[in-house]
Amino acid sequence: MRFATRTFLSSFVPLAVLLVISFWAVRAAVIATVRDSLRAAVRDKQLALAREQTRQETRDRKLLQGVAENPTLKAGLQLLALEHKVKDQARNTVEDQLSEICDSLNFDFIMVSGARGEPLAAVIREAGGFAPLSLIRLHTPEQGFFSVDDRLYEVTSVPMHEAGAQVATLTVGGRFDISRFGVPAVLLHKGAVIEAQMRDLAPAQIEKALATCTLSADCELRIQDETYLSLPLGQTAGVGGDSYILRSLQNVDAASAPLQAVLRKLFLITGLIAIAAMLAISALSSRSIARPLADVAAHLRSSAATGELPEFRENQSVVQEIRDLTQGFNHAAKAVQESRERLTRAYVQFVGSLAQALDARDAYTAGHSRRVSELSCAIAKAMNISEQDLETIRIGALLHDLGKIGISDLVLQKPGRLTQEETDLIRQHPVIGKRILENVQGLEAYLGIVELHHENWNGTGYPRGLKGEETPLHARIVKVADAYDAMTSDRPYRRGKSHAEALAVLRSVSGSEMDSSVVEAFALLGDLRQPAALEGTQSLRSLSQAVRRDAAPQAAEPVTVLESEAS
Amino acid sequence: MWFRLASCVLVTSALLAGADIRGTIAIERKLTRRNVTASAGMYQRGSTVELGADSEGDALAFERSHVAVYIESGPNSVVSSIVKASIEQRDRRFVPDLVVIPAGSSVSFPNFDPIFHNVFSLSKAKSFDLGNYPQGQNRIVTFSSPGVVAVYCHLHSNMAATVVVAPSRWAVRADGNGLFTLKDVPAGTYTVVAWHKAAGTFRKTVTIGEKGDAEISFTLPYIDSTDIKPVAHR
Repeated sequence: MRFATRTFLSSFVPLAVLLVISFWAVRAAVIATVRDSLRAAVRDKQLALAREQTRQETRDRKLLQGVAENPTLKAGLQLLALEHKVKDQARNTVEDQLSEICDSLNFDFIMVSGARGEPLAAVIREAGGFAPLSLIRLHTPEQGFFSVDDRLYEVTSVPMHEAGAQVATLTVGGRFDISRFGVPAVLLHKGAVIEAQMRDLAPAQIEKALATCTLSADCELRIQDETYLSLPLGQTAGVGGDSYILRSLQNVDAASAPLQAVLRKLFLITGLIAIAAMLAISALSSRSIARPLADVAAHLRSSAATGELPEFRENQSVVQEIRDLTQGFNHAAKAVQESRERLTRAYVQFVGSLAQALDARDAYTAGHSRRVSELSCAIAKAMNISEQDLETIRIGALLHDLGKIGISDLVLQKPGRLTQEETDLIRQHPVIGKRILENVQGLEAYLGIVELHHENWNGTGYPRGLKGEETPLHARIVKVADAYDAMTSDRPYRRGKSHAEALAVLRSVSGSEMDSSVVEAFALLGDLRQPAALEGTQSLRSLSQAVRRDAAPQAAEPVTVLESEAS
Repeated sequence: MWFRLASCVLVTSALLAGADIRGTIAIERKLTRRNVTASAGMYQRGSTVELGADSEGDALAFERSHVAVYIESGPNSVVSSIVKASIEQRDRRFVPDLVVIPAGSSVSFPNFDPIFHNVFSLSKAKSFDLGNYPQGQNRIVTFSSPGVVAVYCHLHSNMAATVVVAPSRWAVRADGNGLFTLKDVPAGTYTVVAWHKAAGTFRKTVTIGEKGDAEISFTLPYIDSTDIKPVAHR
């Protein structure tokens, strides 16, 4: 997993989860609050209605008490009581009176009953007028509800007094309209729903739910997974088994539904916006966190590709930790660089020492490798060869005769002519040198010089007989320098040639043995050798000192001319 | 005998020679409010009646026709005569609801409604209570002293009628146009009364010569319009 992804996820996921949870919690709390306040409002409204209903009933009673004192009605009742011959007409008379009362007081039903409760006359409002009611099937409660022809009436009664004694009861009522309450209501009789405003609810469901409610208290109930609030309305509830119960029944959930919908929408939108914002912020922050690290990683990757260990620019990053990291890396890189340099130095010293030790086997060849190295470098410089190749030539030239380790001193230091066999032996030294160096890691670059510095331009050289530019330039340069140093060095059997003589010999084989371009470059250098300041042999110590200064190959060194017969 | 006869003839001729008093009653605005009451015959199961609306017709004509006009006092010749009037009970109303009769006349109160009525009066001029009586029955009351007699029904508080008992034989109701005629009034100076239930009593003096009729007019705005306040707003 990438670091950026990781930081993004670790910042976004907890935030998102937190946000979602808190939004959910806030939404739930808000909706609960809304519902509670709505429930309170509904309850208040229902309570107000119930109070209003009670007050209305009280007022109706007072009004009725006034009506009960109506003298014409009393006269009518007397007539009814006394007149037996034309009973129908007497009742008609009373019914007529009742109609007038009913009309003037806007009742829908009116009835008088005698002292024993027997109905005497009753009138009911029909469409546009009044009609007398048959008394046979009339069983009217004094208080509560009764129905005629599927019409429900809500009635109340007052006694009628004559000389202090109750002579009759006047019962009046209005058509019961359940919708007049302004809140959904339900009327129950003996636990069964008679009248309900909830069209979408089955009466059985309402009955079952309301069965848990007490008569006089408000209660909350659940029907079809929705919350309803129910309060008793008024004091119309009768007593005993024949009781009517009028209750409000309002769906609290439905009342709060529009608000809930709005809230849900609001929270959804804000939640989405917040999550989007968080997404952006998380992405940005993860980028800004991961970027310096990615930069460092990219830097390291590129250095891995090149093999270099470049240092980071100081204080590149504003992040303290990244700065520490790059600084630490810089220290490490510096240390690696230093140790590598130390290794290289030690290696170069070792190689130099090896070469000197080789040269020192023969007093005449002492310093030969170093001089060839110097000369080769001078030629290479003149030929505008790159710095890196120059270093290869310098060390390669130092090692060019390494293979002579494997050749007996007897052959190597034999004065006088060599036999064919001896010559063949000596000619083995480039291959031997190559074999020795082959197995050392990091010296691959010098193998060409060590193996091929005896190849000729015209292909007559050894060990492979390469022609022209088949031989690497490094080897061709070292060949010229080797030959020159051999010619100009003293030998036990002859003195060394002068520069001019040696150059003449080189020129004579230029194009055949030697690469003419290298010879020409060499010729232009002129005589590089100082007049011999130091004669005779040199101690190994001074040699190693000279090698130690190899880092500056241009520096002129006192030269002791020696000769290697085999070169 | 002859003289007496002659004098009788003279008196008769003098009576015959009497002139008419013609008059008009002017009423500018409605003075009473009337409600329709349902016909009592309609109170049978299934039938319905509309109640409470104002009766139709010309309201001012109604007012004018409910003015009683009579001669209250005058010279020697203010004498009474007996008539038989009737106030029926129909559709829970007294029909007519105003009769004007000379003192000593009688009024019958037949019940034509299918319900009981109980006609009574507590007026000073004549108080009576006819008791409950059903359809088809009749009661007769004689009004011997002049005055205004308000007649009601015990069973129906909205039923009301008035019997105006005049002290003379010249007693009439104005018609819908407010016109009335008091016929064959001998010459002399008379006090003529116009009475309206709501407006009250108005008196005017009129003199009738040997020849020619007399004219008289009453205007009955008995109170300023600003004083009229609807009862319901009190």
